[in-house]
Amino acid sequence: MGNLLEIRNLKVNFNLDDQVITAVDGVDLDVREGEVLVLAGESGSGKTVTALSITRLLPRTAEIVSGSVMLRGKDLARLSEDSLAAIRGKEIAYIFQEPSSFLNPVYTIGNQLLEAITLHHGKDKEEALKEARELLALVKIREPERVLLDYPHQLSGGMNQRVFLAMALACRPKLLIADEPTTSLDVTVEAQILQLLMELKMRLGFSLLFITHNLSIARRIADRVSVMYKGEVVEEALTEDIFKAPKHSHTRELIRAYEKIGRL
Amino acid sequence: MGSKRLLFGCLIIGIFSLLAIAAPLVSPYDPSSIDQAGLLMPPSARHLLGTDGLGRDLLSRIIYGARISLSIGLIAVGISVAIGLVFGAVSGFYGGLIDSLIMRFVDIMLCFPTFYLILAVTAILGPSIFNIMIIIGLTSWMGTARLIRAEILSLKEREFIQAERAIGASSSRIILRHLIPNAIGPVMVNATLGIAGAILVESGLSFLGLGVQPPTPSWGNILIESKSTLGVAWWITVFPGAAILTTILGFNFIAEGLKKKIG
Repeated sequence: MGNLLEIRNLKVNFNLDDQVITAVDGVDLDVREGEVLVLAGESGSGKTVTALSITRLLPRTAEIVSGSVMLRGKDLARLSEDSLAAIRGKEIAYIFQEPSSFLNPVYTIGNQLLEAITLHHGKDKEEALKEARELLALVKIREPERVLLDYPHQLSGGMNQRVFLAMALACRPKLLIADEPTTSLDVTVEAQILQLLMELKMRLGFSLLFITHNLSIARRIADRVSVMYKGEVVEEALTEDIFKAPKHSHTRELIRAYEKIGRL
Repeated sequence: MGSKRLLFGCLIIGIFSLLAIAAPLVSPYDPSSIDQAGLLMPPSARHLLGTDGLGRDLLSRIIYGARISLSIGLIAVGISVAIGLVFGAVSGFYGGLIDSLIMRFVDIMLCFPTFYLILAVTAILGPSIFNIMIIIGLTSWMGTARLIRAEILSLKEREFIQAERAIGASSSRIILRHLIPNAIGPVMVNATLGIAGAILVESGLSFLGLGVQPPTPSWGNILIESKSTLGVAWWITVFPGAAILTTILGFNFIAEGLKKKIG
């Protein structure tokens, strides 16, 4: 399998008032076509910053100091903001941790879905509405007609995450980046969303970069796992190998911690 | 409490607006026709609010005056909100140098005593209803700009704005479709108060003779005509004054009610 995305020597600094903090320090990461890569690591290890750097969604204080982000031979780090906006959502889409706060409170679900559908291709309203219903069916939302008219605050977290997933998949992206998408959900809903993600991945054939601190999730869904620690990728291996024979001391520590609480 | 006030305010403004719109139907006389029977007639069955110094029916003049005063209020505030929205949104969204430039410009505009600025400009351009609307609009947008900027500063850090960027929305789309609709609440409150303010300014200008020119009636210039007859004809002062007072109260009630409703 070829590489869909190649990150080389990525370095990201946060320029604060009185100091410079290096959040990501020389990260190399490959995402292959059609695979599930889990980026694991403790809080503050630079997972999210790495993911946001891919399409430069970083906060204002952050700065990509060096590195390249190649998407099928195109270096995203060198693209203008406008050309990057054309890639966001169309080729690389995101889902995030708190689905409810990632939806605009003043618009209905239907309204926001339509925006995601029509943003990259002009479509007439009829056609877009039909597609919105199909997308909601795709993420297994019952009663799509009612949900289209609902506001985000009227839906549960799990429902909102499904809606957000539908928005992310509206343009059939090649890479879906999921930044702890189930962390704010309870365990049963988490399991449902994970299963849905895996099903959709098989059906639509996108690659999935899944960020989590939860190693049991990593074990369940990943083809490969990359472990980040203090801004660096310290270990990268096939899922079975990493759990059988972790090489880096930090990986071993993480796995031991999970075994201790019996969740692996 | 908020919704009662809102309802009461809407009722007052609704009545005045209806009167203004239906002026030719509801006013008993033509506002500039003179009743030969007498000038300065006190309120009576024939002239419900009396007649003015030229023998014109005061009720009709106040109803027609509502048209002028209310439309000046609405259009002036429309202009000021439009300018304030653009400056405030750009300032808050882009930040940095653009923000500093716009905010310093706002500071400079706020330094001018607005009323004298308006007086000076009307003196140069000449008083007309159209000029007054524009001038009031051009000198009252700063509050809106600051308000919008503050709202957008906090809104743009919210997650759903990041989500919009993640699906590939452009900056202008984010500002217009996602930031402004979320920031519009406090602006509406401010605008309602602004309409009241604009009506007051218009009355003040007309009172000084720099506003709406006679014979067109506005609440301000009815008041000025009452000045010389204040001692003998109280009604010419009291009724247009009451109209101004009630309208402004109405707009204030709406603003307060809205503020409670939308926080």
